[in-house]
Amino acid sequence: MWGSPRVSGSNSESLGNYLLGKLNIGGFETEKLQVQTSMRTKESQAKMLEQFGVSDLLIFSFPLYMDSIPASVIAALELMAKQRKTSVFPKTQRLLTILHNGLLEASQSSNALAICKRFAFEAGIDWAGGLSLGGGEAIGGKSLEDAGFLWRNVRKALDLVAKDLLEGKAVSGQAVNLMAKPFAPAWLYVFLANRTWKKRAKAYGTQDKLCDQPY
Amino acid sequence: MKAVVLNGARSGDEKVDEVSDAISSALGSLEQVSVFKLREIFIADCSSCFGCYLKTPGTCVINDATNGISKKLAKADLKVFLTPIVFGGYSSELKKAVDRQLGVLLPFCNKIQGEVHFLNRYERNGNLVGIGVLPKPDAESESIFKTLIDRNAITLHAPVHSTGFIYVEDNSSKIQDKIRNILAGVGFKN
Repeated sequence: MWGSPRVSGSNSESLGNYLLGKLNIGGFETEKLQVQTSMRTKESQAKMLEQFGVSDLLIFSFPLYMDSIPASVIAALELMAKQRKTSVFPKTQRLLTILHNGLLEASQSSNALAICKRFAFEAGIDWAGGLSLGGGEAIGGKSLEDAGFLWRNVRKALDLVAKDLLEGKAVSGQAVNLMAKPFAPAWLYVFLANRTWKKRAKAYGTQDKLCDQPY
Repeated sequence: MKAVVLNGARSGDEKVDEVSDAISSALGSLEQVSVFKLREIFIADCSSCFGCYLKTPGTCVINDATNGISKKLAKADLKVFLTPIVFGGYSSELKKAVDRQLGVLLPFCNKIQGEVHFLNRYERNGNLVGIGVLPKPDAESESIFKTLIDRNAITLHAPVHSTGFIYVEDNSSKIQDKIRNILAGVGFKN
């Protein structure tokens, strides 16, 4: 389940797709759904809850929004948790969460992972682990296989995660640490990020207005 | 002095509405108190388009109630995030408004308190108060919520911040006392 509002080409989906590919090879039957689309109507919500209920393994892949998970994802989790209180779910389920953020440090997502873990606890789902990735915006929505050398640690981490999940284990510390490793030192990240925004602004003619104070 | 209260009560969260009224009362001496009962306001999800950075710097490209709320927040000396605590964090109602506040930040980043953060768009930002409502004391949820407010205070460049908790069992007198103490944490005295 990916929680980016981008219906296609999102980094959340890129990360999720890579992992699902590995799980498919290992014999898992997988399905994908996008949270915002699923939350649009009562019918699509019901379908999402139905898929949620029959799955052995849930994988959430979200971007960090304002130090937490996006509002529509919270709304989906609120629905799921409510359903779990009113229905019987004999199936044992596991939840893995992957959070990426547009800033450098993966640790900035730690508290958001704690929110997801708390959701798992309240919904009666086993916590398979959580991974944080910093600088995820730089994946650019590409498939991880095509994303280049810069993301080798992320691919290695997800390979380890797939192995752990296929063996029924929780995610290892090694995978968590690999995923969290910054792909650049802070000074370089800041330099490149700031330069990129100025470059992108030229397409809109706003390069001299980026610091405007409309209020 | 101006304050904004974002009330993240969902349908059925009567206690949160009761706390919202108590906060309005406690802030009664201020020049302006704007209370937004978010469940009654349509706010679209943030689409992660970065239009507030690139297309219309400082304002959201989606034309709904958010820009009005953002304007009040930008001028507020005090911002109160009031919410039922959901998995340790904000309700979906509060979060939908908070998610759309990216425009108060600049796209440019730098190291702040040892981490990379987006820089402040405005010279001054209001203090931040987080008030979480819970059925009963819950150490884990409260710890997660407090950390969230701590982190939002850094992200939103709040000079001072304070966090507090109100339980469903708290009567009106206890609620008023707690609110007074929480607001005192950001230097507000009625």
